[in-house]
Amino acid sequence: MRYHATILIELKEGILDPQGRAVEGVLQGQGFAVQDVRVGRVLEMTLEAPDAQSAQAQAQAIGNALANPVMEVFVVESLKEQP
Amino acid sequence: MKVAVVQFPGSNCDLDTLWALEQVGLKAELVWHSQDSLEGFAAVVLPGGFSYGDYLRAGALAKFSPVMRAVRQLARQGYPVLGICNGFQVLTEAGLLPGALLANTNLHFTCKEVYVRLERTDLPFTQGYAPGQLLRLPIAHAEGRYYADNQTLQQLEENRQVVFRYAPPPEGPKEGYNPNGALNDIAGIVNQQGNVLGMMPHPERALEETLGSSDGRSLFESLKQALAVVGL
Repeated sequence: MRYHATILIELKEGILDPQGRAVEGVLQGQGFAVQDVRVGRVLEMTLEAPDAQSAQAQAQAIGNALANPVMEVFVVESLKEQP
Repeated sequence: MKVAVVQFPGSNCDLDTLWALEQVGLKAELVWHSQDSLEGFAAVVLPGGFSYGDYLRAGALAKFSPVMRAVRQLARQGYPVLGICNGFQVLTEAGLLPGALLANTNLHFTCKEVYVRLERTDLPFTQGYAPGQLLRLPIAHAEGRYYADNQTLQQLEENRQVVFRYAPPPEGPKEGYNPNGALNDIAGIVNQQGNVLGMMPHPERALEETLGSSDGRSLFESLKQALAVVGL
């Protein structure tokens, strides 16, 4: 089976995110009433796995390999079976 | 015995580092990152640059290179391992040094000379310096903000693992000297065993006064001396 996975990597809460700050400043300058802007990363991929459970396990393992636990957290945002 | 200088795709201080090692009389060789053995090498340097284009995060993809298994093995066996700039980022990503290097607080790629204070002179990389010596060294990075959680920071301080700390110039303002927002002004740290050093400044770019500073030279001379003492 083929699965489409989306993994979201974000900086941990409490870690200064200067990119988020810069974006926040610009958005506020544009008149948006926003705060606490954080910038993360989205990874998309197609996985080959026998079933949804092992696809999920694979996506978790990939997140573990790619995110740096010192300053980041990740979540498997979505996992969809592909036709 | 020779010193290995690892070339990742995107390394760009590899030849400078090779030159610096040879300048002090060490035998050095470039090693491509896909090699999985460092047999015959008595020390290894991970040079500066942009390994894998800094994709994902600085150093994040380089940690998976086959050569890193050999680097880990050398580190475990107590041989000197030095990571400069991107090399430091690779060492933290690989878990050979604690903490991480985040985007500079000002988000700028910062290329300039800074002052760092040397905190340890009992290491194979620093034994040729005077205790507490103030060094003028160039930095050139966008991700140099050293970060670790409070507990790790406390352990680093207690174990005297901070080797270089950003410091104000001898004459000039006593604030605003930290170029990237690094916690505790950390510019370089060593592992607990004292054989794996990571530093953001570039000693290999400071070997001669004509280059602006010769304060980096002793680091390579120290390494040579350390290798000679143990018969390497």
